[in-house]
Order: sequence, then structure tokens, then C-alpha cells
Amino acid sequence: MIEVDKVSKGFARKKVLRDVSFTVEKGQIVCLIGLNGAGKSTILKAIMGLTPIRSGRILVDGKKPDRRLYERIGYVPDHLTMPSSMRAVDALTFMEDFYPNWNASRAAELMSFFGLDFKERIGNLSKGTAAKLNLVLGLALDSDYILMDEPFSGIDLFSRERIAELFSGDMIDGRGVLLTTHEVGDIEHLIDKAVILNKGVVARSFDCDRVREEEGKSVVDMMREVLQA
Amino acid sequence: MKAYGKLVHVELHRVRWLLAALMVLTLVIQVAALVWTARSGVADIREAETIGRSAFFSDDKLSFSWLIFNTQVLFALPILLSIAVLVLYVFLIWYRDWLGRSTFIYRLLTIPTARRNVYFAKATAVLLLILILISFQLILLPLEEWLFKLVVPSDLWEPSVFTDAILANQAFVWVIPLDGSRFLVSIGLGMAGVFALFGAILLERSYRIRGILLALLYLAACLTIVVYPLLTLGIDQTYSFLYPFEILLIELAIIIAVTLFSIWMSLRLLDKKITV
Repeated sequence: MIEVDKVSKGFARKKVLRDVSFTVEKGQIVCLIGLNGAGKSTILKAIMGLTPIRSGRILVDGKKPDRRLYERIGYVPDHLTMPSSMRAVDALTFMEDFYPNWNASRAAELMSFFGLDFKERIGNLSKGTAAKLNLVLGLALDSDYILMDEPFSGIDLFSRERIAELFSGDMIDGRGVLLTTHEVGDIEHLIDKAVILNKGVVARSFDCDRVREEEGKSVVDMMREVLQA
Repeated sequence: MKAYGKLVHVELHRVRWLLAALMVLTLVIQVAALVWTARSGVADIREAETIGRSAFFSDDKLSFSWLIFNTQVLFALPILLSIAVLVLYVFLIWYRDWLGRSTFIYRLLTIPTARRNVYFAKATAVLLLILILISFQLILLPLEEWLFKLVVPSDLWEPSVFTDAILANQAFVWVIPLDGSRFLVSIGLGMAGVFALFGAILLERSYRIRGILLALLYLAACLTIVVYPLLTLGIDQTYSFLYPFEILLIELAIIIAVTLFSIWMSLRLLDKKITV
């Protein structure tokens, strides 16, 4: 379980996150929803140790994150983070070199699933293609958890459907997934739990199925209720 | 350890074209200077001969150290240029991973290895670049001597001691390891400077706008701590409390202490404060 516990963070005097708490369990797909600038990406970076937090704590399976964390959590940032001079195949080799939990056969499977060219230079990739390769790098790790920052942004309709397909397939099965998005529509039926973030504060956190059954509301309804209030 | 080695490889692989460009530039400038200077030297002697001056004097012959002495600026130019590029590269090696379209630092900081490996791999890459460029110059010099023999007619060519030739250029004196201790001082000071700059860069990357101020203060403090004893302990005076050797020893201890502090601070920043 990933526990984000009363995490606060500020840049200079501006508070970016205030007492943010939520959990992600294995086998659960949790979606951080919020408008632009709500602090979604910052939370993912804080979990990955890529930005310091002012107070609160983050635990992964009950322990403070250390370097072994990066084998347990796959991270897909909101853009491809490989040097543009590399070819796609170099990026895969890099991952294989540095991550003991890299699953080469799954990587190959994903490359063909997305129809990606191994020889293409990263600098020449279109935004959507880069986003797909980015997903390959994150998903081909045998990790317990996956963090994904806006995995659908800039990706065309059919590819979005393909990615959504991945979510319900065995690629994700059993892993804990934390993803951020501001367009929840495509994946609404996939997510187990939604955490609505507004200006750095958790405005509402709920079980999607329960809200759907008991209150007859969709995630988008809840977003409207909370964010437009 | 394995990750460190692989990271050094990644860093060197990324800079290979820059390195090759510096080598080619050095080769082209030095060879051009060599051929041009040797030819005009030969022409001068021939002209003197036709006017009727006797060719008995030994200074009417050309040696390799004569050539090196007479190509000072052009031979030093690629070396100074390489140093300037390396100084810029100290900044580039970090900032290129943050700026631009692909921010590789996300990946570097999330590989399952201690972050000090990323830091030391970058420092090692800079050191290796320096050593590779010096080695290249060392290999180039005998080749240039051979080329010089080809350009100068045998009746005008005079042998010279190779080390004399190297000592004839003021830039070579500092970068070519003829004198072991002097070379170590050059490299050591250079690397101490690299670690100080790394510290300043990481301060800026951790605290951003406030970090620029911190970085400048930090560099000023480093410089003051290192330079102050040199000015006050009286190394330039005949009668001072300490022997020059003792002052140099104190200086060495200070530089090592400042460098160790820089490394400790950088690693802490990288572990706790860095923001991508």
C-alpha cells in the first residue's frame, strides 16, 4: 500500500499541497482528479522523491521510500524523459541495464501492441508516439505499483482506447495504479477510487462503484459537484 | 558500483561528438600552424642563403622545439578552447538533463541505485574528458614531430629533445604531465573547482531563485576560504611565521576540506532537496 499521509508542500509562500492524505492498495486503480495546477503531478513527484515535501510522510508498504522503491514503483511522468538523441531501442536498453526488474519480453510485447518502431529517434517522435513509448518504459517494469501522470494527454482517440484496454488486461492486473487526469471520461469505468484535488487540498475521496450504486452519480457528476461549487 | 560504471559510460557516450569535435579542432589548428610556420621558416632560411648569408650558424636550422616555440598562440588556442568548453560542460552536464524537451533527470534520479552514483558518474565523466584530451595531445605531439620532419628538408632539420619542445609552449607546461606534482596540482585544482561548481549548480536546482543567491554566496565563501590564507600567511614575504612549504600544506588541507564539504553538501541536496 502507498500511504500519502498529511503531506504539505509549498514553493516560497505559495502552498501547493495542504494536508493531502490518501492510500493506494495493490490491485486498486486510484485516480487523482483535479483541474490544471491542482497539485496532481507534484504528489506523484513527491512519492518518487523528485521533490521534497515540507511536512507529512509517504510510506510504501509501511516503509519509508529508499532507492529500492524504484524497483517497486514504475513511474510514467507526463512526458518522455529520455535524451532525444537516443533511439527507442537505446531507451529500452537503458532500462534493461539499470532496472533489475525490467521485463524485456513484456517490453517487446508492448512495443508491438502500440506499433512502435525500435529504430526511431526519440527526438523525432510525435507527441502521441512519445507518450506511448513512455508508457512502455513504465509498464514493462515488474513493479507492485505504477504511477502515471496524465497518460492520456496528447494521445489520439484510438490509442486512448488501446491504453484503456491495457488497464483492464493482465498488464495491470494485481498492481496498484495511481494515475492523474483532468479528463476522466475515457477511464471512468476502470477506476476503483477517485481522489478529487482542488488547489492542493483533497476535496473529496470516494469509492467509485459505491457512489455510482448508492448515490447514482458518476465521477464526472462528483467532479462538477466539488469543483464547480 | 556496477550502476556507477554504466552511468559513466552513459555520460561519456552522450558527449562523444563534442569530444570528437574538440579533437578534430586541435588536430586541424595545430597541423595547419605547424605546416605554415615550418614552411615560412624554411623560406626565410632559403632567402637568407640566396642573399649570401652563410648557412654555417646553427640557428639557420630548424628544430621541433623551435617550431613549438614559434607556434605558441596557435598551439595553445585549441587547448584554451577545450578548457573553456569543459568549463561550460560542467554546467551543461546537469542543466541539459533539466532543460529542453526531454528531462532525463527524472529517469536518472529514479533508477534503483544510490543517487551518489549519478553525481560521481558526472564528475568522473568530466575528469575523463580532461584526461582523454590530454592523452590526445600527448599522442598528437610525436605525430606532429614526424610531420615536421617531412615538411622541413633534411639539410635544415635539427634534432631536439622532446621535453624541451613541450616546455617551449606555456600552455603545455601546465597541462602535460612532465612534472608529476605540477600536473597533479593542475588536475586537483581543476577537479576541486568542478566539485565547487557542482555544489553551486545543485543549490540552484534545489532552491531555484533563492538558490542562485545561495550558489553565489557559496562560491564566494569557497573562494575566500581558499584564497585568504595565501594573502595573509605571508607566502610572498621573506620573513614570515611559517615556511612557504607549511603554508602550502595548510592550503592543501583547506582545499581538500572545501572539496569534501562540497561533495557532502551536493549528495545531501541530491538526496533530500532536489526538485525536478
